Amino acid sequence: MAICAFLVAGFAIAIMLILRGTENSLRLANDRLGADIIVVPEGTTTKVETALLMGNPTEVWMPESNLAKIAAIPGVAAATPQLYLSTLNNASCCSVASMFLVAYDPETDFAIEPWLESTIGRGLSLGEAVGGTYVFVPEGEQNIKIYGYFVTLKANIEPTGTGLDQSMFLTFETAKDIARLSPELALQPLIIPEDSISSVLVRLAPGVDPMSISAEIIRQVPGVTPITSPNMFQAYRQQMNGLLASILLVLGITLVLSGLMIGLVFSMAANERRRELGVLRAMGATRNFVLRSLLLEASILALEGGLAGITFTVLVIFLFRNLIMRSFGFPFLLPDPGLLLIEISVGLLLALVCVTLAAMIPAYRISHMEPALAMRE
Amino acid sequence: MIQLDKVSKTYWMSKENAIHAVLETTLEINRGEFLIITGRSGSGKTTLLNLIAGLTRPSSGRVLLEGQNMWSLTDLQQSQLRNRKIGFIFQFPSLLPSLTALENVLLPTIFSIDHVKEAGNPRARELMEKVGLIDKLNAYPRQLSAGQQQRVVVARALLNQPELLLADEPTSDLDEQTETEIMEMFRQVHLDSGITIVLVTHSTQLVSYGTRSIHMAGGLIEN
Repeated sequence: MAICAFLVAGFAIAIMLILRGTENSLRLANDRLGADIIVVPEGTTTKVETALLMGNPTEVWMPESNLAKIAAIPGVAAATPQLYLSTLNNASCCSVASMFLVAYDPETDFAIEPWLESTIGRGLSLGEAVGGTYVFVPEGEQNIKIYGYFVTLKANIEPTGTGLDQSMFLTFETAKDIARLSPELALQPLIIPEDSISSVLVRLAPGVDPMSISAEIIRQVPGVTPITSPNMFQAYRQQMNGLLASILLVLGITLVLSGLMIGLVFSMAANERRRELGVLRAMGATRNFVLRSLLLEASILALEGGLAGITFTVLVIFLFRNLIMRSFGFPFLLPDPGLLLIEISVGLLLALVCVTLAAMIPAYRISHMEPALAMRE
Repeated sequence: MIQLDKVSKTYWMSKENAIHAVLETTLEINRGEFLIITGRSGSGKTTLLNLIAGLTRPSSGRVLLEGQNMWSLTDLQQSQLRNRKIGFIFQFPSLLPSLTALENVLLPTIFSIDHVKEAGNPRARELMEKVGLIDKLNAYPRQLSAGQQQRVVVARALLNQPELLLADEPTSDLDEQTETEIMEMFRQVHLDSGITIVLVTHSTQLVSYGTRSIHMAGGLIEN
């Protein structure tokens, strides 16, 4: 019975943690980007979202002139370009594995510069970068080598549970300097096409409807796709909803099967103690006392099993969150302790309700049995 | 004290197959009596005892305890009545294995009113002394012999100072010497407290301990 509670609570907490963790992660990634609209080359939405969410490097390009057209649209308060680049995988000229690089323009940027100001008190200079949580300088080295170019890691951004945690941010100037020197320093050169950018981040004036600006961008700037903030990572959200439906179905089946199993096991266990319960009834125990005792026992077992299941699941998810993230192709960030506590309580409650309901029928049957009959072999 | 008025008990094994354990039995047991009911296995004596105790509902007829029909009471009233007025000794080992001898004796106080609960501990010790097991208060049932376990059961049955003691084959699993000791204990309890005792046994040799005996066969009282 405790094993059933273990499974129910463990499964429930796993679902809540993964779904909530993914949602949390998407929200944080959205916040981190800090844009109301991201404009990307047409047909590259999924590639860019995957790069931002999973850190899978991608290179997409559109004309730099799009920036001025977008910035000129009434209602756009700020527009800033970004370049999406990548390091070389397993190359001696790069001291990090394949990594997503985001280059920004300090002159117009409103997403990274404010954070830098509050963290290191200034913007990035030539040859400097900031990294996601998991970006670090290799042991024994002073800098990170990219295309044979030494980049100084100035700070790390707090975790988002997305690909941004494994990405590096640098200025246009640094990116272009790497590209300039890479033919001499690296196995392959870093190529940044002339007059090209990868995306434009847009901040809207207060009160402006993002959907109408998106429509305006589509009308005025051909060959691009604007992604409004609420629709950001929409493909992932849809995939998640599909997954959620399947998971809820499996959870439902698990609950029903666990309920049947618990009912059967509890019935057998209580049946073995029929005589003992009959003796208690003969000594003055009421039917209600026997019923309450049996249900209390079931509840204690449910709590024990549920707690064990939750501890095990939380531990597994905590230890293997990166593996889970990569296996499922979803971003993931552990919720804060307060939310985790609520989710643990919900998991425990579910195990408790499931076990108590399943134990109710056999407990009622045995407690209402005639004592003489209960004591018979 | 107890009246059985044309009481029958039938167990239906299937729609067609019924076992008539007790048939149209009328019996009166007076206060202070030590009644011994004898009979072979399957004669209906245990069912009769269960009917007297209100542990099983009669298929027909009435069981009156001090003029009150047990089955007209609510479950709570029935339980309180059993707790306060009736002590039980069963044929099978009925001590809870996870409790010590003293805790087992104190078990009926769980269902008692507060002042009985408070008096429970000293009375339990006194009874354990009476049954000769004062040195076994903290022993678990598995650490006691069958005879010692049955003595603890007797102490438990007497804890709430019941007016009626019902014993179902209390010596069936005991050797001859222990059987004699236990029966002597019943006799002593009866003499000391004047409690009404109804004891069921298959052994006709034990009838000498009682003040009256009846014999059952085929669900009927023969004499």
